Amino acid sequence: MTAPAQPNQQHASEDDPRIMLDGQIGQYEQVPPYPPRTEREAEFYTLGDGEMFLNMGPQHPSTHGVLRVVLKISGENVVDLDPVLGYLHRGVEKLCENSDYHHIISQIDPLEYVSSLFMEWAPVMSFEKLMDVQVPRRAEYIRVLTGELLRISSHALFQGWMALDLGGLTPILYSFIERDEIVEALAALTGQRMLFNYFRVGGVNGDLNHEFMSRVGDWMSRALVQHEANIGLLNENEIFVRRMRGIGKLDRDTALRMGVTGPNIRAAGIPFDVRRAHPYSVYPELEFNVPVRGTKDGGDSLDRYLLRLDEVRESIRIIDQCLHNMPDGPVMARLPRLMRPRPGRAWAAVESPRGLFGTYVISDGTDQPFRFRIHDPSFVHLQLVGMLMKDNLIADTMAVMASLDPVMGGIDK
Amino acid sequence: MTPDGPPETAAPAAEDQITGGDGALVAAAPRDVSAPIIVPNTLWSSTRPDAYLSTSPAFTHLRELEGSDLMLSDTARWGALDVIPTKADILVDLIRMNSLWPLLSGLACCAIEMMSAATSKNDMDRWGMFPFRASPRQADVLIVAGTLTTKMAGPLVRLWEQMPEPKWCVAMGDCTCSGGRYKRSYSTIEGIDRVMPVDVYVPGCPPRPEGLIYGMMKLGQLVKERRGHWDEHRIGPNVPRDV
Amino acid sequence: MDRTLKTRLEAKLADRLTGPVRQRQDQTEIRVKPADLIETMRVLHDDPELEFVILADMAGVDTGDTLQAVYHLWSNKTPDWLRIIAEGLPREDPRVPSITGLWPGAEWSEREAYDMFGIIFEGNRDLRRVYMPPDYTSFPLRKDFHLPDDSARGPGGGVRHVEQPYAPVQGTEQSIRRTVKA
Repeated sequence: MTAPAQPNQQHASEDDPRIMLDGQIGQYEQVPPYPPRTEREAEFYTLGDGEMFLNMGPQHPSTHGVLRVVLKISGENVVDLDPVLGYLHRGVEKLCENSDYHHIISQIDPLEYVSSLFMEWAPVMSFEKLMDVQVPRRAEYIRVLTGELLRISSHALFQGWMALDLGGLTPILYSFIERDEIVEALAALTGQRMLFNYFRVGGVNGDLNHEFMSRVGDWMSRALVQHEANIGLLNENEIFVRRMRGIGKLDRDTALRMGVTGPNIRAAGIPFDVRRAHPYSVYPELEFNVPVRGTKDGGDSLDRYLLRLDEVRESIRIIDQCLHNMPDGPVMARLPRLMRPRPGRAWAAVESPRGLFGTYVISDGTDQPFRFRIHDPSFVHLQLVGMLMKDNLIADTMAVMASLDPVMGGIDK
Repeated sequence: MTPDGPPETAAPAAEDQITGGDGALVAAAPRDVSAPIIVPNTLWSSTRPDAYLSTSPAFTHLRELEGSDLMLSDTARWGALDVIPTKADILVDLIRMNSLWPLLSGLACCAIEMMSAATSKNDMDRWGMFPFRASPRQADVLIVAGTLTTKMAGPLVRLWEQMPEPKWCVAMGDCTCSGGRYKRSYSTIEGIDRVMPVDVYVPGCPPRPEGLIYGMMKLGQLVKERRGHWDEHRIGPNVPRDV
Repeated sequence: MDRTLKTRLEAKLADRLTGPVRQRQDQTEIRVKPADLIETMRVLHDDPELEFVILADMAGVDTGDTLQAVYHLWSNKTPDWLRIIAEGLPREDPRVPSITGLWPGAEWSEREAYDMFGIIFEGNRDLRRVYMPPDYTSFPLRKDFHLPDDSARGPGGGVRHVEQPYAPVQGTEQSIRRTVKA
């Protein structure tokens, strides 16, 4: 017989304070939490006849991030669901209160990490409103150009994730090819593939360079053909279409009352796009349509999917106009290094690929903002999942959630 | 005993209650229980005779169990002879190195770069890491990609404990190596090495897919050379205490 | 800057405004008392000349002295954003009526304001913490949030150096780093 196993000596020593052992990490929240703390909790955590709770825990194969959803199911039908957030809450608003205005731009990149230029755009606009800064036209055009490129990349990723959540493993590979091309072009311009840190108060960080232009030119020459190919991947797939049609119907009144913005409300039939409703930057000069889908009863998941494909086409149009009409000039306004705006308040909102992304900044005269509030669209949209999921199957939960295109970084801040 | 010819129909003994006077079976009275037949166990001997004898387990946690002598480990303990690799070891290590199956543990932005490393342009499938398992019971490597918050620390440690050995851990991105840009926040953990043992640190915010692949190459080297074996894992940063 | 909006607001909300209607660039700002909030919002939402149907944001603010609840609305009838500030909430017992009757989508934003500031929204059916664990006791975005106190009560125990309330005393052994021969 072999000797009994040696005890493991090298485990964490109990007196090293940097190591958090089991008892210190914290407890899981019990399901159901007794006693219920709120009215909605009491309603949710009361089981009817034949119902049970199913926990889709913080780690699950859906790629939206760490979201925990407690489902109340009766057989295979989902009766109700309760999302539990906070598994990615990093305290960005508090960190931004202790950073100066330059630092904020890099701090809030990771909110919606797939479209991080839009995350920079809204704060930069709000700081410019605080300080009454005029942004040069070339910088505005570069902002629009890079923003629309990133919108296409984000919608391509949405396409891949939508298919991945329904079980198709191939379209995500096509999506990542699209994304890699665009993101390598932006890396040639900004130096980073993902969290770009490119916009500055008063302009952008650096002018366009040859490599970026050659990559974008290459990509534009194939863009529409590639887009047609990507559409053809899935639109005629019967399984895909039948799994999405009629699921998650969102009607117009509900959409307005729930504060839905972006492609989700345009797929329900309401033509609200911040670029047209409250134009910013150089969007008034650019010609593009705002695609809207859905009947007078609203739109379902398939409408949301098709709408984002329509938006890619419009973005290609915008990029084309930007490239042709790019003005000359400086790319950044002349500003002091240390920015101390006068005390005041400013709100700015942009149309990110997920919806209305807005920031509200309160300045107290120092070089750090007094309050920096971030409004993320995906946070509001996640409330919809419970409402849209009545009498659907468990497998449709992911379809509905994916069609709303949430990104957990923004939801949890 | 040798049989003594055909058994004669003996007269029923007084103690023999089974057959009645004419050979028919008689039901046993309720209180009569015949003595059980015991065959002594000469086939195998238990290594832990007290295994099923205690009513409540003394250990509720795997980590406590590992430290005691009740835990048996599957790997052979050769002591100092461990340094001599046998041919079987080489083969096993090659097999393990070339088919490390990661667990889908993408928490935040680094998850996108991890997915980018797994898809067509930077293909991790070339080294066998294609299937990102959803269940920790089937995974070898835990690539933690993204910020670890205090709320997520519990579930992540559960995931790590649920993974069967051999297992390795890769800390991808600045947030998992040291807390990164969220080091001063009230709700993040400054690096996952505070809660679980880490084999490879891949810094970057986010690291390029090539960077992650380099980290996985390094992990392959670790696997092959059996450095940082899973039972010698230390939890804790490898820096002095007052730094 | 929409001057007509200012006159319309002053006409319709005359006695509920606690201060003048301020306008700057493309934003118009009005201040109300918390008790008048629901009526104000109803007028803004239903009145055919105002028609502020889209709620863009619901935020909590800590001014250091009192708390505020700030709402941003959008309307098709004006090119300005409208900001409504419900101000003067006391720090010990900040209560605001909830607008989930008009906009059910504000439910989670109000949960977040409760989680971060402690503002209690009366009428919100689901006022529990959304980001922090349910047994968390502090309100992180308040100005009097003291990180060492908070983390001492939490699972980590306050061991990170950002959670230590005081800097180490000069010149003791603990503050002298080990030198590395490199």
